[in-house]
Amino acid sequence: MADTILRGEKITRAFQQGKTETKVLDGIDIHLYEKDFTVIMGPSGAGKSTLLYALSGMDRITGGHVFYRDKKLTGLSEKQMAKLRAEEFGFVFQQIHLVSNLTLLENVLVAGYVSKKDSTEKVRERAANLLRQMDVEEAKDRLPSQVSGGEAQRAAIARAMIGKPGLLFADEPTGALNQANTREVLDLLTDLNRKGQSILMVTHDLRAAARGNRILYLEDGKVCDELVLEPYNEMEEKQRERDVSGWLSGLRW
Amino acid sequence: MENQIIIRAGMKRHKGSFLGIGILLFLTALCLTTVLMLSLVGNRYIREEMERAGFGDLTAWVSDLSDEEFLLESIREQDGVESAVPQRLLFSEYEANGMESDSEGQMIPWSPWSGQYRFFQDNLSGYAETPEEIGEEKVYVSPSMKSMMDVEPGDTITFPIARNGQTISLTVAGYYEDPFMGSSMIGMKGFLIAEKTYEKICSVIEETGMDALARDGIMIHMETEDGITVSEISKKLMENTPLSMYTEFIHSADTIAGFMMILQNAFSAILAAFALVLLGVAMAVMGHSITGMVEQEWRNLGVLKTIGFTGKQLAGQLGMQYMTAVGCGALLGMVLALPSAGLISRMTVTTTGILLPVRFPLLPCFGILAVLLLIPGCFCVLRLRGIERIAPMAAIRRESGETSNPGAGSSRHTLRAEGLAFHLALRQVLTGRRRYTSTCLVAVLLVFFASLAGRMNGWLGADGKGMMDAFNPADLDLGVQVLGELRAEDMEQMVLSYTDITDSYMLAMPGVSVNGTNYTANVITEPERFHISRGRTSMEADEVVLTESLAADLGANVGDSVTIRGNQGSGDFTVSGIYHCANDMGANLGMSREGYLSIGEDDSRLWCYHYFLEDPSRKQAITQALEQTWAGDVHVHENSWPGLFGIISAMHTLIFFLYGMSAVFICIVTGMAGTRILDAEQKDMGIYKSIGCSVSMLRISFAFRFGIVAGIGAVIGTLAAMVLTDPVVSAVMRLAGISNFASANTPESLLLPGSIVILLFFGAAWLLSGRLRKEDMNVLTAES
Repeated sequence: MADTILRGEKITRAFQQGKTETKVLDGIDIHLYEKDFTVIMGPSGAGKSTLLYALSGMDRITGGHVFYRDKKLTGLSEKQMAKLRAEEFGFVFQQIHLVSNLTLLENVLVAGYVSKKDSTEKVRERAANLLRQMDVEEAKDRLPSQVSGGEAQRAAIARAMIGKPGLLFADEPTGALNQANTREVLDLLTDLNRKGQSILMVTHDLRAAARGNRILYLEDGKVCDELVLEPYNEMEEKQRERDVSGWLSGLRW
Repeated sequence: MENQIIIRAGMKRHKGSFLGIGILLFLTALCLTTVLMLSLVGNRYIREEMERAGFGDLTAWVSDLSDEEFLLESIREQDGVESAVPQRLLFSEYEANGMESDSEGQMIPWSPWSGQYRFFQDNLSGYAETPEEIGEEKVYVSPSMKSMMDVEPGDTITFPIARNGQTISLTVAGYYEDPFMGSSMIGMKGFLIAEKTYEKICSVIEETGMDALARDGIMIHMETEDGITVSEISKKLMENTPLSMYTEFIHSADTIAGFMMILQNAFSAILAAFALVLLGVAMAVMGHSITGMVEQEWRNLGVLKTIGFTGKQLAGQLGMQYMTAVGCGALLGMVLALPSAGLISRMTVTTTGILLPVRFPLLPCFGILAVLLLIPGCFCVLRLRGIERIAPMAAIRRESGETSNPGAGSSRHTLRAEGLAFHLALRQVLTGRRRYTSTCLVAVLLVFFASLAGRMNGWLGADGKGMMDAFNPADLDLGVQVLGELRAEDMEQMVLSYTDITDSYMLAMPGVSVNGTNYTANVITEPERFHISRGRTSMEADEVVLTESLAADLGANVGDSVTIRGNQGSGDFTVSGIYHCANDMGANLGMSREGYLSIGEDDSRLWCYHYFLEDPSRKQAITQALEQTWAGDVHVHENSWPGLFGIISAMHTLIFFLYGMSAVFICIVTGMAGTRILDAEQKDMGIYKSIGCSVSMLRISFAFRFGIVAGIGAVIGTLAAMVLTDPVVSAVMRLAGISNFASANTPESLLLPGSIVILLFFGAAWLLSGRLRKEDMNVLTAES
């Protein structure tokens, strides 16, 4: 088995509403492995996104611990967390979260500059390459509001990748896209994973889930089941989707 | 009812903005009303008190009278003179707390039944009961003696009455309000003494004869008939009575009131201008706030239209919300102006010499209120017109009223890795210009005004040299007037024993009449030393130079001829040039010694020796030595006067106040504009955090935005101050007879105000952005 990249121990996230406390995550233990494409699925309100943001340090947890490559994240200062996000994590959101007054290229560049892993020249070169790879080179000087949702999301993936992250977090990355754009984005993520990129993706889309090699099913704040698959192969796409569908049916999905 | 619900809800939702607007209007109204109260009420009060104390329309100070009754009768006989009432006094130099007076003091005998003067409590917080009598060893002084010579009750004031050390020392029993000479802007000072003390001094003067240093005299308060001008009366008095033979000085009520209120009026003008700047700032902020609020409420406005509200109604509701904030702020400011004016009145009593009453001038205050409501009202109407054009569904579909994409089509600033926080800030400013317009405008106005005040302060100088140069007809390090037995040669030897004299000249200041009106003549042995602003100096014996205000009064210009009368005769003189000297509020002229001697009598006591010293730092030591050696036979002065410290400290207080107010305004403006920006950019901030930007980097970047905008404003404000300060301030200064105002472009005047304003904006924005620490990134996870 590959090395653990991220580990969660008894993760709890509760929300206080008046005097009532609602537990969205209820003592979850979780391991994510290097070079895996892990997918979290589950019904609406199961706590999928909450778990993703809890693991990535984007949200505070109310109990438990998270370790990234054996480094304890809980208790890190805001500055240390910012450094970790800049150097080790990449994020792709469901909505197009690009800075509105920066061009697609600038959105990518800023993230590269912040990570401080490479020289300015290298960051520029890598940003250009990534945008070419993501097929948004022609739109690179446009603002997010001037491009299609697919182009913006591909630029967002480029931005997430500029800092050569150890782990890429993707929260329903195809949720706001049409069918054609969805496929393009999924192909990109699959391609990145093939090149060794560890990915943790939340989705409720069966076809998207079928791209992963490990699927966790979350319900009522707990990981209920897990499906392990072979790495994705286009030739077996339909079969994988049927396998995943069958597994989900067993879980009353 | 439906309007009330919406107005109440709107005010609750945007309470921060309305509170900000309210505070801005409150401060503007407070400042404007306080200034107006002090200025209008002060001027009126001085007039009332002068009238009550019997000053008359014209008062002449006379001494060495041979026949008082004859003089008074001859004055009363003149057409246009209603009455001429004498008030006894004694002229004498004085010394207090180790400081010698620059001008003669006037000891005035006081009787409890006269009811002429009002007395202060010792702490100057209000009036005290009129004393039953003044003790023989006691004296009452003006509160301005406190700022001029640090005189307090219990201190001793010594008056040299005659040579051979005959002095009289009186203990300060308290302060009284002197509406004629109370201000520290007036060199001559009145001292209320007991009748018996007066008689005692008179008998010493009589006994010592030629050796007397004090002189007896009177003030003649003249009332004139309606329809006749003071200059006409003055002319008649000079031509038809022997008044000119005895006159020390003669001043109209207008001139005295002008002297008394010169400082208050000058600073009131500056503060009123500042209050108007604050109003401009408030309007700029309000404009920005309205635009922002309409954008924010765009969708709600659309919804309200769908349920039947008209655009006019909605604009009215929003306008009402603003006007409520404006009205509350303005009214509260006006009400609190009363205690504020009272406080300032008490704080300035040692400079003004009078306790300015705190009254509410109803009509002008209503005028202010009308202006403070009308301008914002018009502003609201103009800014809210657009609401009528909102199509309900278009508004509902769109998230905000912003019609353009942020940054679309705007200049692109290349982002760099080095100094990323700054480059991001610059990018934000360039792409969101509209959001920062009001901040920039506010910075322009505040920097302009701070620069203007700073330039005035620079002109004044740390030791008030600018002001002294304005008042002195020519420069000097030390002036020595030789009296009595002392010979000029001996005095000069003593000066030389301390330091070399690099240059010297002599100056006399006799009274003359020009075209029948009395003025002071600055008679100089080296006319080339006059500060000439136009034409040339009076090198020839038949030439004179006039101040700009005197030339205007006489309707004379360079090349014109004027008739000047001295105590020996009269002659026609050609105006060779315009010079500047603010003495007597600019009512003076300059001429050569030869010119004066053709119409006036020479007297060695008339002349003051003005020296330039090789080592000016020895001035103090020389003054001390001269006074110790020759006591009453010498009068020494520097290029300064006690009232100057009042002006300098008032200037420093004003600058402190300006920066304080600017800081408050900057905090409010940054708070309002910044909150709106942070609200709008909540998502962007979350994105920056998600890619690894630390909160401290985002805060610095946010503060840089305001710093950059303030920087642009500071450059414009500084340039505006460079161009406009001299003409604007000169115009105001000319009213006080000062025509030499010229500000310098020093590094301090160019950089300091702008830097302070930039730092204040930067600091305020940095503090405001502290809320970024609390905001987590849930904004990115929420499904919107």
